[in-house]
Amino acid sequence: MDLEEYRTVFLVASLALMMVVTFPTVSMIMSFSSRERFSEFWLLDSKHAAENYPFNVRVDEMQGPIYLGVGNHMGCSEYYVIYVKFRNQTQQPPNSTASKPSPLPPLYEFQFFLADGEEWEAPLNFIIQNILLQKDSIFVGNISINGVTFPVSCPSTWDSKNRGFYYQLFFELWIYDLANSSFRFHRFVGIWLNITV
Amino acid sequence: MKVDTMFASKLFFVFLVLLVFLVPNLAPESFASDSDSANSAIEQAEGVMASAYEAVLEAEQVGANVSGSLARLNIAAENLANAHICHSLGDFENATRFANLCYNIGEEVTSEAHRLKIEAYGPHVASLWMRAIVSIVSTVGIILASFLGWYVFKGRYHKRMLRMKPEVG
Repeated sequence: MDLEEYRTVFLVASLALMMVVTFPTVSMIMSFSSRERFSEFWLLDSKHAAENYPFNVRVDEMQGPIYLGVGNHMGCSEYYVIYVKFRNQTQQPPNSTASKPSPLPPLYEFQFFLADGEEWEAPLNFIIQNILLQKDSIFVGNISINGVTFPVSCPSTWDSKNRGFYYQLFFELWIYDLANSSFRFHRFVGIWLNITV
Repeated sequence: MKVDTMFASKLFFVFLVLLVFLVPNLAPESFASDSDSANSAIEQAEGVMASAYEAVLEAEQVGANVSGSLARLNIAAENLANAHICHSLGDFENATRFANLCYNIGEEVTSEAHRLKIEAYGPHVASLWMRAIVSIVSTVGIILASFLGWYVFKGRYHKRMLRMKPEVG
């Protein structure tokens, strides 16, 4: 090695050492975390598995509990809202890819704060009530969620392909966005229900 | 006596007619007023929750322990969710009650978070200064040591090169 090459080695070694000693200070001002930031959102059945969700639902029969859960991996505390909604097959579902929530009004809701790395979980029971069955259509009058009864007035026609009257009970996760000072739709999970009398 | 009875029944009839006309006009107003006050209480509670969350985040960023504040905010959030549910079902009285409960907790958490931020800010800044001073002193030390090392190394390198030169006899 000639002198020029030795000088380069000296320079690089000195710069590396300087970076090492300044890192603790710089890391207090800037974040260098390469960790992926995300929020988990899950829906589990009564045995805390993703297998036996309520599907064939009889009128006035309590279903559940199903468990809704959220995990915060965003690097700081977050403010979440979960809206519980109910729709038939013709009503517009939410679109997570386009970040577009369902235009339907929420029935029930959960609001909570989570510190980074923490998880939240809550049980949910529901009862389909006040049904009017006609030849090839059905009308759900009420749905009771965790003991609170909501009028839904939601009709559905017979799905001859899948042989049933189908509805979806779904859950939208919204996260408080500090930049816009409002909640932002994040994603949704849901279960299909075949209403039987 | 008969005249008195007739007068009383006429008076009662007039009162009844007035009641029939007045009640439908007053009831929606009272309903609207309940709805308006519930809406206003919910809006205020939502505003306080947003402020409380921002205050807690600021405290968290300077290293304060905000777990207690978050636990209290969760109680407030549950009240706010209940207020929304009651409002959607037309139970404006309970909606207002829950919103007010949320508001009170939110206000308390906001001031608590500001206090925590102030308490944590001093040590945070002191720690930042300490690290900055250590970093600056270390950097200057490394630069000086590098220069010194380089000149020593360069001198030895030249000496070694000179020793390696073939002697001309």
